Amino acid sequence: MKLTTLGFGRTVISWMEHHHPTPLTLESSGWAPSWPWSGSGEKGPGTLRICRTILQVEILDAKTREKLCFLDKVEPHATIAEIKNLFTKTHPQWYPARQSLRLDPKGKSLKDEDVLQKLPVGTTATFYFRDLGAQISWVTVFLTEYAGPLFIYLLFYFRVPFIYGHKYDFTSSRHTVVHLACICHSFHYVKRLLETLFVHRFSHGTMPLRNIFKNCTYYWGFAAWMAYYINHPLYTPPTYGAQQVKLALAIFVICQLGNFSIHMALRDLRPAGSKTRKIPYPTKNPFTWLFLLVSCPNYTYEVGSWIGFAIMTQCVPVALFSLVGFTQMTIWAKGKHRSYLKEFRDYPPLRMPIIPFLL
Amino acid sequence: MSRVFLIWAVTHSVKEVQSEDSVLLFVIAWTITEIIRYSFYTFSLLNHLPYLIKWARYTLFIVLYPMGVSGELLTIYAALPFVRQAGLYSISLPNKYNFSFDYYAFLILIMISYIPIFPQLYFHMIHQRRKVLSHTEEHKKFE
Repeated sequence: MKLTTLGFGRTVISWMEHHHPTPLTLESSGWAPSWPWSGSGEKGPGTLRICRTILQVEILDAKTREKLCFLDKVEPHATIAEIKNLFTKTHPQWYPARQSLRLDPKGKSLKDEDVLQKLPVGTTATFYFRDLGAQISWVTVFLTEYAGPLFIYLLFYFRVPFIYGHKYDFTSSRHTVVHLACICHSFHYVKRLLETLFVHRFSHGTMPLRNIFKNCTYYWGFAAWMAYYINHPLYTPPTYGAQQVKLALAIFVICQLGNFSIHMALRDLRPAGSKTRKIPYPTKNPFTWLFLLVSCPNYTYEVGSWIGFAIMTQCVPVALFSLVGFTQMTIWAKGKHRSYLKEFRDYPPLRMPIIPFLL
Repeated sequence: MSRVFLIWAVTHSVKEVQSEDSVLLFVIAWTITEIIRYSFYTFSLLNHLPYLIKWARYTLFIVLYPMGVSGELLTIYAALPFVRQAGLYSISLPNKYNFSFDYYAFLILIMISYIPIFPQLYFHMIHQRRKVLSHTEEHKKFE
């Protein structure tokens, strides 16, 4: 009988090897007998935890219960992500991004980072598979849905033929506010594109493919609708003139800066390539002090920007776009707020999801 | 939803169409449908659903639904010239809200939307019919 106490993950040769065809790994595990003198992670002299290293994984279809895949000789410290990769080998049409594996056919999806041995499974783990459908990356969706409005608005601004009457083709508006609005709108979407490329750290890689059609219809449609009126030859400038425009522009600029500050603060919470979640706190940047009152100040600032733009252009479609956006962002903010509360016990109680003290 | 629109935004708003035959058409179709549908719900809640009601609900729609849709479309079509003439519910540029709405064009869009929506709903009901009525057949066989 040869037993050697070694550190995490190294193999020992023991008499048990006769009964288990593959080497045993010495490491702390959920099923190992717990010796009274060792806590988890402690390695006192003579501490030995022996456990089976082999796990078997079977994957069943969540709807039909048909056995789709059987994997044997799986390491207990394998992650769900690795299992998904193995599954793709036998079913290449289901790439990992479109796999949803769960312990219960109707239960929640397991996360890619979950480790096999930490799950409540026996020596043969049974997972239920659901096809999430064709997936597309978040970055692709964001870039497409934001590039559209940028381009479309300019078509209307430059009064490209077939939009307004032919006598207006390629003419320019005589109202300053119209030029200002073009700059603001374009700046907004350029900012979004750059943030998508360089700032945001996405939790999920992909989303269902049909979302790109839905999202683009929304963004591109509203952009065209707003741009049509703002750049129309019969556009009426704001009732209170330059005063109204200046105030609205200030609101817009402040909110854009605020929104950007929040995006940077959120980015700094999370190291590159990770998916960690932490409570965001105010930083030295005054724009981030809104975190004291609100869980999702980026949405607050976003709504503020669009309200500013609506006041500046005095245009009902812009107001409607702001309203719809506000509704959607409130839903997201409430969801985020709920997740924060669930995940962190010490979450600041003063904070509301999107509007300080109110919503 | 389409009921409220037809009644309030079309028939009530455009008085000239109220004497049209198409109005009679959809009112009859809706009336018969609703009597059957609500009887169905009532009896279901009482756990005593006569097969006749279930059959009627899942069969008569085959005639009533196209009848109702025809009535609706003809009514909207009849209302169009009056909407155009009166500029009903429409606002045009320039105005201080920088907004325009052409109710005439909107009604035409509504009519067009029947093209994708009607087949979807109709075939959904046909599919439901197959499911519900064949299920009852099987039940009866085992009695």
